[in-house]
Amino acid sequence: MIEAFKHGVNAFCNPTSIFSAAVALFALMMAFPAFFVSTPAALVLAFLTLGFFGVGLTDEHFRTIVTTPDNVPIVGMLFIFGYFTWFALRKAVENDKRIAAGQPTLEKAEAEEKVMVFPYLIYIEFVAALFYSIILVLWSIFLKAPLEDTANPSISPNPSKAPWYFLGLQEMLVYYDPWIAGVLLPTFIILGLCAIPYIDNDPKTSGFYSFKERRRGIILFLFGFWILWVLLIIIGTFLRGPNWNFFGPFETWDVHKLVPLMNVNLSDYVFVKTLGMGLPKAWYLREMPGFILLTLYFWLPVTLLRRTVFKKYYESLGATRYVIYMILFLTMFSLPIKMYLRWAFNLKYIVAIPEFFFNI
Amino acid sequence: MPGQAPKLYSIKKTTVAFAVASVFLLISLVWMVLQDSTREWKGWQRKFMELSRQKASAELEAAGKAVDTAKLAELTKQIEAARTQSKAHSDEITRVKKEIAKADVDTLKARAHYQDLKQFQDSDRYFLEEYRAHHEDEQAKAYEALLAHRGPEFSKAKADLESLEAAREGLQAKLEKFTGAEETARREAAKLTQAKTLLEKKVKKLTFDWMQMILNAPMLDFIRPSLQIQQIVLENLYDDYYFNKTQKVDRCVTCHLGIDQKGFEDAPQPFRTHPRPELFLAADSPHPLEEIGCTVCHGGSGHSASFVTAAHTPRDKKQAEAWEKKYHWHPMKHWSEKMLPLNHAEASCAKCHAGQAEMPEAPKLSQGRKLAETFGCFACHKVDGFERWKVGPNLKHVQSKLEQDWIIRWLQNPKEFRPSTKMPRIFHLRNTSDPGSASKNDAAIAAIAAYLMKNSEPIALDNPPAAGDPQKGEALVKELGCLGCHSAAGVSANHHGPELSGLGSKVKAEWLYTWLKDPKRYHTETRMPSLRLSDEEASHITSYLLSLRNEKFESIELPHVKPEVVEQMALNFMTTTKRQVEAKAELEKMSEEDRLEYLGGKMIGQQGCFGCHDIKGFENAKQIGTELSEEGSKDVEKLFFGFVPLEHTRQSWFFQKLKEPRIFDDGKELPYFEKLRMPQFDFTDEQADALVTFLLSLQKTVIPEAMQNRLDLREQQIEAGRLIVAQFHCQGCHTLDGKVGAVREIFEDKGKAPPILTGEGKKVQSPWLYKFLSGPTTIRPWLTYRMPTFGFDHAKLTELVQYFNNLDQVPPAFVHEGVVPSTEEELQSGGKLFQMFQCIKCHKSNPEPGLSASFLAPDLAVARERLRPDWVLEWLKDPQTLQEGTMMPTFFSEGQSPVPDIFEGDAAKQIKAIRDYLWIFNPEAVSSGAPSAKGTQTPASAASSSATA
Repeated sequence: MIEAFKHGVNAFCNPTSIFSAAVALFALMMAFPAFFVSTPAALVLAFLTLGFFGVGLTDEHFRTIVTTPDNVPIVGMLFIFGYFTWFALRKAVENDKRIAAGQPTLEKAEAEEKVMVFPYLIYIEFVAALFYSIILVLWSIFLKAPLEDTANPSISPNPSKAPWYFLGLQEMLVYYDPWIAGVLLPTFIILGLCAIPYIDNDPKTSGFYSFKERRRGIILFLFGFWILWVLLIIIGTFLRGPNWNFFGPFETWDVHKLVPLMNVNLSDYVFVKTLGMGLPKAWYLREMPGFILLTLYFWLPVTLLRRTVFKKYYESLGATRYVIYMILFLTMFSLPIKMYLRWAFNLKYIVAIPEFFFNI
Repeated sequence: MPGQAPKLYSIKKTTVAFAVASVFLLISLVWMVLQDSTREWKGWQRKFMELSRQKASAELEAAGKAVDTAKLAELTKQIEAARTQSKAHSDEITRVKKEIAKADVDTLKARAHYQDLKQFQDSDRYFLEEYRAHHEDEQAKAYEALLAHRGPEFSKAKADLESLEAAREGLQAKLEKFTGAEETARREAAKLTQAKTLLEKKVKKLTFDWMQMILNAPMLDFIRPSLQIQQIVLENLYDDYYFNKTQKVDRCVTCHLGIDQKGFEDAPQPFRTHPRPELFLAADSPHPLEEIGCTVCHGGSGHSASFVTAAHTPRDKKQAEAWEKKYHWHPMKHWSEKMLPLNHAEASCAKCHAGQAEMPEAPKLSQGRKLAETFGCFACHKVDGFERWKVGPNLKHVQSKLEQDWIIRWLQNPKEFRPSTKMPRIFHLRNTSDPGSASKNDAAIAAIAAYLMKNSEPIALDNPPAAGDPQKGEALVKELGCLGCHSAAGVSANHHGPELSGLGSKVKAEWLYTWLKDPKRYHTETRMPSLRLSDEEASHITSYLLSLRNEKFESIELPHVKPEVVEQMALNFMTTTKRQVEAKAELEKMSEEDRLEYLGGKMIGQQGCFGCHDIKGFENAKQIGTELSEEGSKDVEKLFFGFVPLEHTRQSWFFQKLKEPRIFDDGKELPYFEKLRMPQFDFTDEQADALVTFLLSLQKTVIPEAMQNRLDLREQQIEAGRLIVAQFHCQGCHTLDGKVGAVREIFEDKGKAPPILTGEGKKVQSPWLYKFLSGPTTIRPWLTYRMPTFGFDHAKLTELVQYFNNLDQVPPAFVHEGVVPSTEEELQSGGKLFQMFQCIKCHKSNPEPGLSASFLAPDLAVARERLRPDWVLEWLKDPQTLQEGTMMPTFFSEGQSPVPDIFEGDAAKQIKAIRDYLWIFNPEAVSSGAPSAKGTQTPASAASSSATA
């Protein structure tokens, strides 16, 4: 029974299905937030997650990975992230109901009662600090420092993993060249996060949580955070093994596992497979389809959406902010798109110019 | 205000939370401190303290018993008596004691006064000198005045002090008059119980009391704990952490507390004394603990102070299980330099003792090295420091020796023909036993045989002059010395050369006859020497050896080889360099025979046959095996364990590989040509284990050169000689270098056995030895064994002579040593003594009948060329010290001569006379009865001829 379950999970676990399932679940949550923030739904979700871990821990491999001192905090982090997302959404949904019923929001109701920071808040913070100390002391007793072998320049550990907070970036490296996954995208993430208050300066829901009023912002942010960051960290930590191969959670990390690698560049698709001619010698001709595709990707949606779906939004933002917003938006979604292209068509690079190490 | 906002703040809740948090924080902190201070090694140190205490208590008891109680009682009585005596003068004593106390105070004061004054005087003198030097006369004068002013007071203070001290001494003497006897007796008694008192103190120190408990308590143990980590910092050794080299620190002694102490030989681990302290650990041993430490030899993590993290390695499964129970042992995941299991500890000897052919103190490693050489490991595997040499016979003329069918049968399984052969089985092994591979094996074997036959150059062979007599041949095999290397005719004292069995089913008669007569004609590099056989002897031996047949082997059916399999395999090789179509076309053009030959050549290259055998077309082929120069430190992850359930350690992998080399292909889907190729040697467990030790010894050198055992020139020359001695198996016949000649055991009359060569370097002259080794001549005519002609070249001959000289600490010099009798009298007496002692009775070229072989001795005619003059003196003085058990009589027992009328019975002079006579001795003259040797050579001419030699 348990074996069958493990086999099922392992068989299901490949980047495509995990990613798609996560996206589907996310879409459901965003479509029916009220259902997901209800206590029974939360209990069921919590039960399922904990149950999965409970069953999983009976598996030797799963236990080794999950209880490795480096990975314990990541497991803890998942539960904490989950809880806080759920908690904030719950408040937002509650406020939506209250607004619909003409009642004041939760924050407004709370704001009427006040206590002084000192001594009351400080006291609570002090007690919290005590509990924190207990956790740290117990942690130090139970989990030893995860020291490894002396660093040997001639032997790199396999898998070589970045610190957990960079595992999302490392996962991106599977799909993008280092200059994009390691430089461009992180820069965009930081700049984009900084730019949020300047792009969306609507004071409409200032001071309280609301889902209905801020649906676009919340969905965009949570998609970026949960799917494009946390999920990639989960994959990078628990599901990527030696040689950066993908392993199911109950699959032993075998160094010798071999999977076929057969990725093809877009230029091959166009010139060799479709047109049946050889690759053009000059790189600018060869990579023309890729450049065209990229131009279309960054140009068509901007102009089309401006006139259709985002018409009102464009008007409220103005041209400059709209363009910045769209560039960030399109860059963000280029990641899942590239991932799916890889999975579906074994697409290696859209633009591949080994002549001067430029690949997209 | 809290009352106004109960939702945001509750005193009760917060206080309860605070209370709970405080309690838990306290508990967790205490827990943390305890966990931090509880260390495995502290427990061991306590246990060792207890063990030492018990030992000291036992010693104390013994010491208590050893005290001379009668004497002690007598002394006690004396003390008592002295005390009663002094009681009579108690008033007097009290008075003197009081006076002494007063005198002490006075002296103290006087000394203080004197020292104060001295300080002032010294200081003033300094300033006086300074000012005077700077010509500040006024100041200088002032200080001069001061010094002069204080001068008398200073002298008086000194005189006072001295008189007070003298008075004090007088008083003391007075007191001793009353109490002296008691004191002396007391001192005597203390001396008697001194050992006991010392042990009592030791036991007390080793008893764990409350004071120690406090000093070792957590948080207080920084002051002066009695439980402490012990470590050895090694000055010249370093741990290499890749980016950084740190001085080696071994903390093993933190728990292994009795390792360098006597008396813990039977203690339980970890307290046991190291075995053989005279060789290891003792300060005056070659491996002192303070310089060598522990981990250099044993491996493991020297910094660690717990059983598991020190990376202990169990010897076997049983020990592993016992450790798991006892110490919660598990292999250290993140430490590649694990400890060597004790049964392979000798591997570390090679770190410093490289370049030695044999290490008597490391028998297992030596055995491993020897096995690796014997079985030709270096033929396929490159190993730095070990020479690659062809272990198997030359196959360049194989056609004149063997039939093709024999080769095919032999390759199927060499052990079928001769179970003792060194040739491993190459085909039809574990990973090539499936039907598909089996037919490929058969094709490969047939192809190799075809290639060898086709690529064999003919060689001129001689025919035996007449059919020999096998019985005579068998006798000759036993008599002439074949048994010095081969086991044959039912005798197996040696296994250096192949066992001489079944040759009738193997070789051709002309070949064997020619080979016996002159092995170098067939193979110039062969180690087989010539025994200088006559045609007749050779043909007898030939007919004997050919009469030995292996019928079972002859009846093995030749496998049927399918041409399509040959074609398929040939195609496989050809497509590595050609396109499939081209390859096929080329194969079409070939005849079936050519295809077979082509495949044979490729298979020889693929299987590496040329590693051990000389084969035409493979003169410059590269070794096919993995390089093993640093195999002992190879990362375990780089060893391929496949699907074999095996402990992931180097030693278990090596062992498995040696026992069953192809096992790692189990469960793999591999094409025939990509399967593992290491052949099956059928090593015994013991052999494989020794080879594992050898493999583990192959490591990168990390020991600084100054600490390694560097061979000096003499040792290097000895090692070079040892290599030749091992290669040509001198110790198969001769007792040499501490090893008894192997054939000696088959001689009942040891006098007929080949001579013992211990001390040969001191005994014989270098030029003679050189000549003898290049072309032996008869010295002991009664021996049937012949010293073979090995055909050594100049380099080898020189090395051998140097080896013999160095073994006996004689400086190697190729100078002939001659002797000139000084006086006519000496010459005459030499001859007389020579006759008197009947030297010639045993020492002659044609021994007298009736003497048993033990009484026969080397021909003295060659002595002046052969022997060293100094050695002859020593030999005549006392033959037994030079060669125990020799039949040479001791004429000059204890330096006394039995002949009193020559040189007035002076033994030394007589010995010299005999020796000098030997150098001009002419055997024919003696046998014809002429007393003097004058007619043949004058002393002067003898000397001059010697000098030119």
